Amino acid sequence: MRWRAMIAVLMAMAGSADVGRAADPRYPDWPCAQAKVPEVSLAAVWAGPPLDDVANKWKDDATVNALVSRLAARRTPLDEAEKTIAEFLSGATPEKSERGKLLFAGLFDTLNAQRSSVMNGLERVTRKQREAADSIRAETLALHAQQDAATPDQAKIEQLGNQLLWQTRIFEDRRRVIKFVCEVPVAIDQRLFALGRMIQQGIE
Amino acid sequence: MWRRIFFAMTIWPAFAAPAGAYVAYVSNEKSNTVSVIDTESWTVTKTIKVGQRPRGIEFTKDGKSVLVAVGDDDTIQIIDVATQQIVDTLPSGPDPELFVQDAAGKILYVANENDNTVTIIDIARRARLGEVQVGVEPEGMAISPDGKILINTSETTNMAHFIDTATRQIVANVLVDGRPRFAEFKRDNSELWVSAEIGGTITIIDPTERKATGKINFAIPGLRREAIQPVGIGMTRDGKTAFVALGPANRIAVVDATSHQVTKYLLVGQRVWHMAFTPDEKYLLVTNGVSNDVSVIDVAALKVIKTIQVGELPWGITIAPQ
Repeated sequence: MRWRAMIAVLMAMAGSADVGRAADPRYPDWPCAQAKVPEVSLAAVWAGPPLDDVANKWKDDATVNALVSRLAARRTPLDEAEKTIAEFLSGATPEKSERGKLLFAGLFDTLNAQRSSVMNGLERVTRKQREAADSIRAETLALHAQQDAATPDQAKIEQLGNQLLWQTRIFEDRRRVIKFVCEVPVAIDQRLFALGRMIQQGIE
Repeated sequence: MWRRIFFAMTIWPAFAAPAGAYVAYVSNEKSNTVSVIDTESWTVTKTIKVGQRPRGIEFTKDGKSVLVAVGDDDTIQIIDVATQQIVDTLPSGPDPELFVQDAAGKILYVANENDNTVTIIDIARRARLGEVQVGVEPEGMAISPDGKILINTSETTNMAHFIDTATRQIVANVLVDGRPRFAEFKRDNSELWVSAEIGGTITIIDPTERKATGKINFAIPGLRREAIQPVGIGMTRDGKTAFVALGPANRIAVVDATSHQVTKYLLVGQRVWHMAFTPDEKYLLVTNGVSNDVSVIDVAALKVIKTIQVGELPWGITIAPQ
């Protein structure tokens, strides 16, 4: 009886909301309340000079490379980033513009890639969650069958019950992590936009 | 700025306060606060805790209070400007979002998103005077310059309802594009502009004929059409220049309001939503919901000159009248 009551609660938790119900039919595995925007388009974050001629060139410049890693990292506060960018862009105008373009091209590539990998991860975990929910459901049925048997195997019931408890706990933990990680793509968007704006102001 | 201060000090020493210092109030939808911005220093001088989900925000015409619709608390709160504290509430319907005052500042018309009504409130008496049934999810609100017609847009029905303020009856409906968000009259009553978030357009309506007469479209190279979502509209008093917030396009479109041509796009912040002019029309302040900041546009130069961090998800903005 004890198990039955607990299982009912677990089932309700595992069956509810988050798994398998996507807001956008195009992205059935997308678990977040935030709309999925697969890629940030350059025009949404950059109104500066065109970057076509610097694509991939930023990788050849060691200084820019190092700066991109530093500025892309979320542990670098934005006001520190602003100072770093201002220092990097000091100097004559034409050169300033070229350097700004290189730097932003690098940040755009890097942060967009980070964003994609986080988003792929979220969808992968959602698929796993769906599998876990199926397995919890199946094991619950097995447990019920044992309990309803003419001669219930108490040891088996205990074992199945414990197993279910653990699976559900993992399921719930993952759900909490998903909710938290859903904020990451947005945080990356914000960072990319803020850095882009600083660079544009610097080369204007 | 220096010239203005110099002017104030030398020519008009009696007027101690510099002529250009205004105060702006910004509603932060997610952090449930209102940020107060000083337009001389362009800094946040105070953050006021308000009710849940503050969106529509407006100074009363006497400049003494700020009204803020707190949708999840189903009410409108009154902030006393002198003490910067909430002192009272107004009886709106459920989930108030946007509202507009009549020219005298006595009557408030509130769009209640959840029950498809516009509530009419006597501001001084804090009393509900009546209700008008409108389309599904009412949102945008505007009042004609002569005060006789109230416009309400409904998000789902895609209409601009014309409501006679004397009889409180709908007298005309004009179909606009998908999800109309905001309505704005030209001061001479020659045109009414309605933005459509999903449609991606501004519909221009002749307020006398009550018919759509034109459309403004927006195009930004490299941006998908769905990313261009017109919301807030600001128009200069002379009716010559308009500014349209384009949501996730992160830009403000500058429109020649006579020819209806877009002349420029200004990159501001992420998901730009609503805006307000300083009373001298030197600056336009716009709220950016995702980057959590306010951009300041120099209206004459058509340039973004400043960015001010505020609370989470800034939505509405109002600037004290002179």
